[in-house]
Amino acid sequence: MSEEHFVVIGNGPAGNQAAQTLKEKAPEARVTLISKEREGYYKPCLLPEYMAGKISEDQIYLSTVDAYKEKGIKLRSGQEVVDVKPRRREIVLDHKEVLRFDGLILAVGGRPRIPEPLLVFRDLMMTLKTLEDAKTWIEKISRVDRVLIIGGDLTSLAVTKALIALGKEVYFMLDENAFWPLRCNDDMFQDVSDRLSKRGVKTFYNCKLNSMAQRSEHAVEVRVGDDIFEAGLIGAFFGLVPNVGFLARSGLPLDRGLLVNETLNTGFEGIYATGDCAQVFHPEIRDYWVSIGHDNAKALGRTAALNLLGERRPVDVATESLFDVQGIKVNTSWWMEF
Amino acid sequence: MPKVDITIEVCGMSGDGTIAAGGLLNAAMSEAGFSVLAFDSYPAEIRGFGRCVTRSRIGNEEMLALAEKTHVLISLDDEQSRSRIPFLEKGAAVIFDNKPPSYVGEGHAIPAHVEPDINLFGIPFSDLAAEASGSTRGRNLTALGGFAVIFGLPPEIFRHVIQKKFAPKGEKVLQANLMSFDAGYNFAMTAFEDRLLKILTPPETEEKTEKLLLSGNVAIAQGALDANLKLYFGYPITPATPILEYLAKALPEKGGKVLQMEDEISSIGAVLGCYYAGQRAMTATSGPGFALMTELITHGIMAEIPAVIIDAQRGGPATGLPTKTEQSDLHAAVFGGPGDSPRIVIAPTNVTECYEYTVKSFQLAEKYQTPVIVLTDFFLDNRVENVPMPQASKEALKDGNIYPDPSAKGPYNRFELTESGISPRAVPGMEDFMFTTTGLEHSESGGPNYTPENHMQFSEKRHRKIQGALEDLSIPKEFSKGGSLDVGVISWGSTFGSALEAVQKEQEKGLKVGALKITSLFPFHDEIIRGFMERCGEVLIPELNFQGQLANLIGHLHRKDVVRINQATGKPIPASIILEKIEEVLKA
Amino acid sequence: MPNPVIYSKEPEDFYYMDVNVPCQSACPALTNIPAYIRALYEENFGRSYEINRMANIFPGVLGRICSRPCEAKCRHGEAELGRPVNICHIKRSAADLRDRVSSSVKRIFSPTGKSVAVIGSGPAGLAAAHDLSTIGFSVTVFEALDHPGGMLRYGIPEFRLPREILATEIDQILGSGITLKTGIKVGTDVPMEDLMTGHDAVLVSTGCYEPNQLNIPGETMPGVYSGLQFMMDICAGQMPDLGKRVLVLGAGFTAFDCVRSALRLGAEEVAVCLRRTEEDLTVTEDEIFETKREGVKIHSLMVSRRIMGNGVVEGVEFMRTRPGELRPDGKSEVTPIEGSEFTLPTDAVIVATGQRPQPFDTPGDKNNHGLLQADSASFRTSLPGLYVTGDYLTGPSTVIEAVAMGRKAAERIARDLTDQPFREKVVRLEDTLITDRQRAWDFLPRQEMPTIEPVEDRFTGMTGEVETGYSPDLAETESKRCYLCYLHYEIDLNRCIYCRYCIDVAPRDCIKLVDRIETNTSGAITGFEETSNWEDVNAIVIDNTRCIRCGECMRVCPVDCISVTRVELTERMNEKGI
Repeated sequence: MSEEHFVVIGNGPAGNQAAQTLKEKAPEARVTLISKEREGYYKPCLLPEYMAGKISEDQIYLSTVDAYKEKGIKLRSGQEVVDVKPRRREIVLDHKEVLRFDGLILAVGGRPRIPEPLLVFRDLMMTLKTLEDAKTWIEKISRVDRVLIIGGDLTSLAVTKALIALGKEVYFMLDENAFWPLRCNDDMFQDVSDRLSKRGVKTFYNCKLNSMAQRSEHAVEVRVGDDIFEAGLIGAFFGLVPNVGFLARSGLPLDRGLLVNETLNTGFEGIYATGDCAQVFHPEIRDYWVSIGHDNAKALGRTAALNLLGERRPVDVATESLFDVQGIKVNTSWWMEF
Repeated sequence: MPKVDITIEVCGMSGDGTIAAGGLLNAAMSEAGFSVLAFDSYPAEIRGFGRCVTRSRIGNEEMLALAEKTHVLISLDDEQSRSRIPFLEKGAAVIFDNKPPSYVGEGHAIPAHVEPDINLFGIPFSDLAAEASGSTRGRNLTALGGFAVIFGLPPEIFRHVIQKKFAPKGEKVLQANLMSFDAGYNFAMTAFEDRLLKILTPPETEEKTEKLLLSGNVAIAQGALDANLKLYFGYPITPATPILEYLAKALPEKGGKVLQMEDEISSIGAVLGCYYAGQRAMTATSGPGFALMTELITHGIMAEIPAVIIDAQRGGPATGLPTKTEQSDLHAAVFGGPGDSPRIVIAPTNVTECYEYTVKSFQLAEKYQTPVIVLTDFFLDNRVENVPMPQASKEALKDGNIYPDPSAKGPYNRFELTESGISPRAVPGMEDFMFTTTGLEHSESGGPNYTPENHMQFSEKRHRKIQGALEDLSIPKEFSKGGSLDVGVISWGSTFGSALEAVQKEQEKGLKVGALKITSLFPFHDEIIRGFMERCGEVLIPELNFQGQLANLIGHLHRKDVVRINQATGKPIPASIILEKIEEVLKA
Repeated sequence: MPNPVIYSKEPEDFYYMDVNVPCQSACPALTNIPAYIRALYEENFGRSYEINRMANIFPGVLGRICSRPCEAKCRHGEAELGRPVNICHIKRSAADLRDRVSSSVKRIFSPTGKSVAVIGSGPAGLAAAHDLSTIGFSVTVFEALDHPGGMLRYGIPEFRLPREILATEIDQILGSGITLKTGIKVGTDVPMEDLMTGHDAVLVSTGCYEPNQLNIPGETMPGVYSGLQFMMDICAGQMPDLGKRVLVLGAGFTAFDCVRSALRLGAEEVAVCLRRTEEDLTVTEDEIFETKREGVKIHSLMVSRRIMGNGVVEGVEFMRTRPGELRPDGKSEVTPIEGSEFTLPTDAVIVATGQRPQPFDTPGDKNNHGLLQADSASFRTSLPGLYVTGDYLTGPSTVIEAVAMGRKAAERIARDLTDQPFREKVVRLEDTLITDRQRAWDFLPRQEMPTIEPVEDRFTGMTGEVETGYSPDLAETESKRCYLCYLHYEIDLNRCIYCRYCIDVAPRDCIKLVDRIETNTSGAITGFEETSNWEDVNAIVIDNTRCIRCGECMRVCPVDCISVTRVELTERMNEKGI
């Protein structure tokens, strides 16, 4: 096997676009796309609508697992990367297979964040990131009447809408720790709270979550401030954190995400990060930013691929849609829709 | 319950416990009420570096043949299992050890090779087994635990079959295996919570008939036991050895004896001697051993002594392919040996028939005073089917001997010329019925006689006698709605199941296709066969040999050339190949 | 018949220990870790404590606050094998669970008639004093502060290290016959020259007490604290009023002690500000996690430019930093980004960016910071009889490094003064039997240290120890996890029949079919040339660097050709010592 081998980790918009671009521009190269999820390439932002039953599973797919073969991309679905050895140019899969690469693009996306102080309640809270998560919600939701949402990121509002559409009673606890696209302030909380209340959502903010305890199979007792109530399900929505924990031993530069320069390079030749997992330093804004949103991710995926193939293209920074979240600038284009 | 028809493979390196896992799987499936047809393949060398594969076809209708595609692959060794990937059905499940003992390079793990639609289930077999039982040896059981959860089988069924298999080996071994199974079960229950396929959950209320998991060889041995076999003589040879092994244990318990001889020649000699003395005896061998026996078989024909010989065919010629299957001893069985030597050759097509035909062979041998050759093959001998407990009828167990009338006066002519060619046979010790027996051509009294008339007369007698056996031999069975057929498939032995499956599929499509099963290979019912052929546009004869030995035997009965499918690969022929050929012939 | 014990000083045996018992070789003090874990498993808590104490005089202290280089190397933590054994907390359990008897070593050798003065009663000074005292030297320790212990006493908050634990262990050390003089600052209260004339040797182990400055505008404003001073104040019982919001600048243990102390002083919004990233922190993972759970935020990639405020602190102006080119060690220098300034508001700033040694009045050659110059291998200065060790010599290090260095300095001084070696490292080999360890134990999860729950209950005072200690059951379970790497499994090739049953049951690729065994010049095995071609197999070997000592091979071997030897790197009193 003397041909070049490019590996892309992650089958989201960024990974997908990166793999396709690599195959288009370097048809002779071997391209392997590794995806932890078994499902094909789908739009996660449609999951709340899927949950609400407004669209079918087929409608959320952008590409099925079979389509990759036609494009000449080797898709390894349901397989997880557990380590990257940048100097040896190897990646290690969960089943102990070691792959050598000539170029690597990390597009592992994010995973739901739960702030450390709430971790003790982890087992009582559900998150929504993947299709599998959505299916779990659907399975459980039919058996409960009331759902408590904690946090307040973009997904939480969409999920709240879906829950209302399903006729569920929704309690919402706005948490200052939520991954909000704007710096949180009281006015904003008040605004959101009012909107939610109008839709019949009981809203808490500036309250302390005291305890949560499983009372029966479908009831968790929650104490928020002075209130005590039971909820059938509890969803935690604190945004996403880049899913880079598996790189802890790798030596790749990590902060919140993978630190890369404006060409998405990690500092190691031939190793790039893109999409939600990349924390990009950009000289123009003299700061780091993390991109979210489907279209941004696609654009970043393409840029990473082109740069891996020898270009030195800086990523575009659309300054008008930059927001500061916990000291990190966030580039979003889709949150406005909500 | 929806139709179930899935094929499960277990594949590993020798030493992984592959065959044991396959056996437990079959037992559990049988207990769950499914039909099972299974076949293992393993290397010829003892504890070599070789691949072991068990294939089990599971369904809720009778299984006729192995299927070509696999729906579930349980990999105990990814290096070995790689070769099985081309046989995977789309969307198949692959259960593999995702924590093997060492890191491997790209391509040395099964996930590297599967299509993305394949349902991968990674279970750390070795680690779980070690955690649960203290040793990795139970890893095959851990794999079964995972399998049981994923496919929705109740664990009790597996625990029961594990109990049955391992209880004799002591409590410690049993517990270690049970714990390894449970470890896999519990792991998969949590790990795959959202992905369980559950397509094999057995129906709860349906009444189940008690079924037995039997291999062809065991069915033969059991048939012989039920037929009151007195003595068994044999020399070990794959694939016939399990008959020797089984009888060595079971026959003495019934008052019989098993003697391992120095070779196949003495084995057949002893069988003839025993029958000469009036008792039932049997030997089983494979091609190379059968070749050694032919001279004495013809002695039995000449001296009109009964004998039962199982020829478990394997790949040949000579030592050939000891662990591969083939149907290439047909010519040798029918024609092998010096002289004009007609004998009876019958061939069962499935495990139940293995039993029935063995039982019957004793009667035939006795009545027609001739060696009877039962032709099986590696695939039939070693495949496992779950069948209702076979039981021979009283009629089938009757003594087949025709003895001389004790009240008859005058000298006893042992080889008396009769209309049927059957001369009533006395056995040594019967008063007033003394006779001589020889391998030389002889007259009615048994004394040597080389006159031209006598040899002509006695050659004719022996042929008349054997042809007369047709009335006792199973007639070819037709599987069609009758009338004219576009294609007729004629098949024998282990290949018949595949032929019938292919034909049934075509019939379901409404095509005019039929199958004819021939189990009596010599003598054969030429009128019936010709009658079938006359109604067929084309006749197809699939068999596992290169020469087309059945086609050579009966092809002349057709008005034009028969279409042959001659597969000499050492592997059973899948229905799909026959199906393709039918389609091809239909198109032409 | 008792098994023969062999003591070896062959280089290949030391090489073996270095490669094959990774925890012990990672420990600066070379603690015999498998032995003390095994002793604890056998409920021999006292013995477990003593095995520790042979290498390190502070088992109870370091069982809490050690930086745990051993755990990073623990074989159980190799990627495919799970998480490292909680070595540190097992050490603590030995101290917690042993009988309450004092564990002082009295003099091992008769008095030498020589005396040594040790300046500073931190971990390095006390370790040196203890070793010297037990081998027959008359030792006096001078401490400038009111209590002994140095940074252990004044730099580490009580909620991580209860003072009675420290007091007990210091008391044991002093019990070996050491004279302690507190409240005496050498160079100020007593001239160095006096000590030098009064003693055969003087050892300087005064540590690092000079806080590093940021050298940025506003640093002297009220509301800006030095981390070290802040901790020393709290340890001395003075509780500063910080206000509601606190920013801590720094990345070490001290920075984390400061944020957690600030929370306990009533601050509500507390954050650590890092120049680099969380990934680069040397603080243990558990510590980071507990800190976050207590509500502390960690900000990364920023460097302070000035402290803002009008008479009182109002905020800190930072610049973003960027990791630069990677160095060969895998880390990178960070550089501030011009023009990226931003401000975080705060009521107090604690600067915990490290400390350095403080110069004091002493003879001997100095460097340009006014510090005594010394050779880091021999601890000698330009003056005969004057030695330097600990953080004063190396700059800030860890407690376990300080202990190890104090001991090495003691051995050097003893040899210099008497021309005799006292303690020497040896490899002890003893044939043994397979243990009762079960393969299933390899799958036990790492037992987490119980802490005060809920988190709010931690803030009722400054002293409640957050980590509440293993119960005997938890300690036993965790001790079961240790592979006991000091056991050496070996196949006797003369008896092996190459049946390969051992390979069938091997937990990983630890038993190998090899063509050739590679050795270095001292004869130590350095590698294997494996083969998959049966014709080329010349040996079947256990690779002890891969072996997890599960014993499965031994149990299945049909010809009993696998043996076990217990191999320990330990120290022995030299018989030639006085």
